[in-house]
Amino acid sequence: MTTVVAPDEGLVRAAVDLVWSTMLFATVEPWPSGLDAALADGVRATIELQGDWNGRLALTCPAGLAGEIAGAMIGTAAADLSAEDVHDALGEVVNVVGGTVKGALGGELALGLPDVRPCAADEATDEATDGGFVLGWNGAPIHVQVLAGRP
Amino acid sequence: MKIVIADDSRVMRQIVSRTLRQAGFGHHDVVEAEDGADALSKVMSERPDLVLSDWNMPNKTGIELLRDLRGSGNGVPFGFVTSEGSPEMRQVAEDAGALFLIAKPFTPEAFESALAGVLG
Repeated sequence: MTTVVAPDEGLVRAAVDLVWSTMLFATVEPWPSGLDAALADGVRATIELQGDWNGRLALTCPAGLAGEIAGAMIGTAAADLSAEDVHDALGEVVNVVGGTVKGALGGELALGLPDVRPCAADEATDEATDGGFVLGWNGAPIHVQVLAGRP
Repeated sequence: MKIVIADDSRVMRQIVSRTLRQAGFGHHDVVEAEDGADALSKVMSERPDLVLSDWNMPNKTGIELLRDLRGSGNGVPFGFVTSEGSPEMRQVAEDAGALFLIAKPFTPEAFESALAGVLG
């Protein structure tokens, strides 16, 4: 039997870095300490892993930044994209992050389908996490969380 | 030649199409399918020369699609483009008749390497 531990910050950060560099052709940076990373509202993308480790990975960012992420992936202006396209793109981001993490963890794991929805203020930080950190891109925060257990 | 791209993400279908162009395969016709069931229907009606399919999709997964095709005697060249690329999944894909598995995130070079033998 393979023992799988929760994905740690380094692994998830590496997966996010890989997605940003290969799908957005950009670099994501740590959010500067001391700078307010609170979200008034935003978009939250989650994907579930089940098996030797049960939990979810979540990416939450302001709605405007979600549009910029989608625009970078598709190669078009964020203003030209529908909300459906923006949610679709953010879902693919968390899907590929989840797949990369799953592959690195090994063991018996199944990857769910991504779920993307608007989120209220503080939702990015009010769940108990096994790990979480904040990254920055285009001047806005991206909250990355590892949420243990099933929703 | 004609290529069916099956992925439940419209954005990812666009990215796969763009990557095909970047890899030098932009002169081929592309038919998009939004899930495995849609892809099965379009393979039957469009008779493509290649299927590029996601693995995790609603309605019918990519591996179910491939098994349905092979079960009905359809030998269309088939490759996966998926966020999961573990050795176990690659073996499952190969055993079911897939020619290759390209893991997301991918590069044009990965497409060029995998598809050169199929599309020439």
